Amino acid sequence: MSTPALPRESNRMKRRSIGEVLLYGKSMLPALVLLLLILVLFFGFTTKNFFTFGTYRAIISNIPVIAIMSVGMIFVLLIGGLDLSVGSILGFTAVNVVLFHDVFEKAGIPLAWIPWLVVLCSLALGVILGTINGLIITRVGINPVITTLGMMAFARGLSSWFALGFEILKTGRITDKVYLNLARQYLPSAKIPAVPITVVYLVVLYAIAIVVLRYTRYGRNAYAVGSNEYAARLAGIDVRRIKFVSYIISGAMASLAGAILVAQLSLGRDDAGLGSEMEVITAVVLGGVSMAGGKGNLFGVIIAVLILGVIRNGMVQLQQTIGLSYYWREVVKGLILILAISIDAARIMATKRRQRVRQ
Amino acid sequence: MADALQLDPGKSEKKRKALSTTLILFIVLVAMVAVFSVLSRDFYSFLNLSAMLTNISFSGIVAGTLTMVLITGGLDISIGGNIALTSCLVAYLFNLEKPVPGWALVPIALALGAAIGAFNGVFITRLDLNPIITTLGTMAVTRGLGYVLTKSRSILIMENVTGFIGRTVVPGIQIPIPLVLMAITYILLFFLMEKSKFGRKVYCIGANPAAARVSGIRVNGVKFILYLMSGIAASVSGLILTGQTAVGMPQHANGVELDVITAVLLGGTALSGGKGSILGTLAGVLILGVLYNGFTMIGFRYVHIRVFQGILLILIVALYELREKKRY
Repeated sequence: MSTPALPRESNRMKRRSIGEVLLYGKSMLPALVLLLLILVLFFGFTTKNFFTFGTYRAIISNIPVIAIMSVGMIFVLLIGGLDLSVGSILGFTAVNVVLFHDVFEKAGIPLAWIPWLVVLCSLALGVILGTINGLIITRVGINPVITTLGMMAFARGLSSWFALGFEILKTGRITDKVYLNLARQYLPSAKIPAVPITVVYLVVLYAIAIVVLRYTRYGRNAYAVGSNEYAARLAGIDVRRIKFVSYIISGAMASLAGAILVAQLSLGRDDAGLGSEMEVITAVVLGGVSMAGGKGNLFGVIIAVLILGVIRNGMVQLQQTIGLSYYWREVVKGLILILAISIDAARIMATKRRQRVRQ
Repeated sequence: MADALQLDPGKSEKKRKALSTTLILFIVLVAMVAVFSVLSRDFYSFLNLSAMLTNISFSGIVAGTLTMVLITGGLDISIGGNIALTSCLVAYLFNLEKPVPGWALVPIALALGAAIGAFNGVFITRLDLNPIITTLGTMAVTRGLGYVLTKSRSILIMENVTGFIGRTVVPGIQIPIPLVLMAITYILLFFLMEKSKFGRKVYCIGANPAAARVSGIRVNGVKFILYLMSGIAASVSGLILTGQTAVGMPQHANGVELDVITAVLLGGTALSGGKGSILGTLAGVLILGVLYNGFTMIGFRYVHIRVFQGILLILIVALYELREKKRY
């Protein structure tokens, strides 16, 4: 597709204006960082208490759930798929975390082990639901939108069913300190709560995901499948297996996010994560991952998650300062999603036009 | 690809297939009505059937226009948000200090639906954006605006201004008005899709957009009109819902897109485009309506039905896939 690089091309590349970098650059990262800066400055000047430690903590502790789900979503979008069921899988896990915890506690398992067992069980749950998604999509051959829409209704329905059926889910409360500490510890110490432990998980998870996407055979194959499935199949890649694994990862990440959300809220309810699939897709697409597949990386997604976090917190502060209704947040989120894919489309158009001019 | 190349000989064959699918669906419908009538004594009563059909008409109207959007290979999941915003706006305008007169509410609501549809249409056709993501964004925007308008509360409509759309019946024959609206919609859409040039263009775009463009069809124009129609249909549904409940609230019609998409796919429309019919969708809407109503009458609860609905959606599409494979 791309025109062969001419010798004078390399000279041209060095002297590019900011506009060119934003519009034609390979990565959306510069544009995203700029947007983040603008937003921070905007909220900083329009609200009273934006540049405070409290704001930082609110934003940083709100990020992990969406960020973890985004890791799963990028794997699915890269292969040209879509997973609408992540919000429901999160909700289903949240309900089950409470149940698992109750069962283990009654079974007399030492308190120190319970959190890890619960997280393991919830991961297994996510893997199972992701496997069902993957099997239906790759083996039966049904469109991913339909499959995951069905899974969305199925998992949400099951969680509501459980919530009606089990006495302990009437409140859904978890009071076990050991479990809550999964998400409520701070580094370097409890007195100086600078970095929540969830951010540490996040860094580790992103590091692993970046390595998997860049340096493993699975990661390269995923990019290949996303950019041209037919060519990938001809090149001997087991396309169905790559897709299958992606949906499993997405399910596992959604349930991991669910386990962490319960620890954060000390509450597991059947409506947890309702509509969060929209936020996750917004983050990933805003981060420069193409809906068509085969393009994007996690660095952009991190910035995009930060952007969404800043907007969420900034809107709350705007309400306190100038009385703007907090509910504008949903509107802004939707507009940003549309803006994000418009930018993606505009960049593709601009690049095509430039290639045509050069030829 | 092959379909588009031999559009004429292929069409008669395709039509036969679509008809036979629809026929099967209507047979299933009759069978289900029979089964539920046996299982539950109250199912086959005038009161229940009339209530059921009134309920169906609310999602049925949107399903009709969504069928056309799906045939061109698009999708509109902003309908739920659109319905909610319509109900919020109507309730909000009526509860102002100086209330907007009742007769003006209907055109305002329709204009709102048209505006949302046009918004979707412009972004999807002009910028060539992914319709799923675009309408997902519009869903958030519309529902969010509903929350902003109502401040997340329910706004009651004390006087009977919109009730005539949702709750009244045609005098003499006792047919609810929503049902009449749905019947009119389906008759119009049926003629539009089966007998008019526009309908052929829609099928042609779905079968092969590139071929449609080459043969002189203004693909973007047609798609824009379809999203516009989908928006207007959603606001009609919103008016019906407002009339029935006499309340405007942003949580209205939450998850209705799942019901509607399930009904359309059950009717034989393919998500990949090019295939489907209005009659099939009508059958799909009726079957789902009977199914939910019947299960409720037997004693299932809403959450059970929700679980079942997810499985049903996947099963339906799998069955059609299987049928398609057998054919070739």
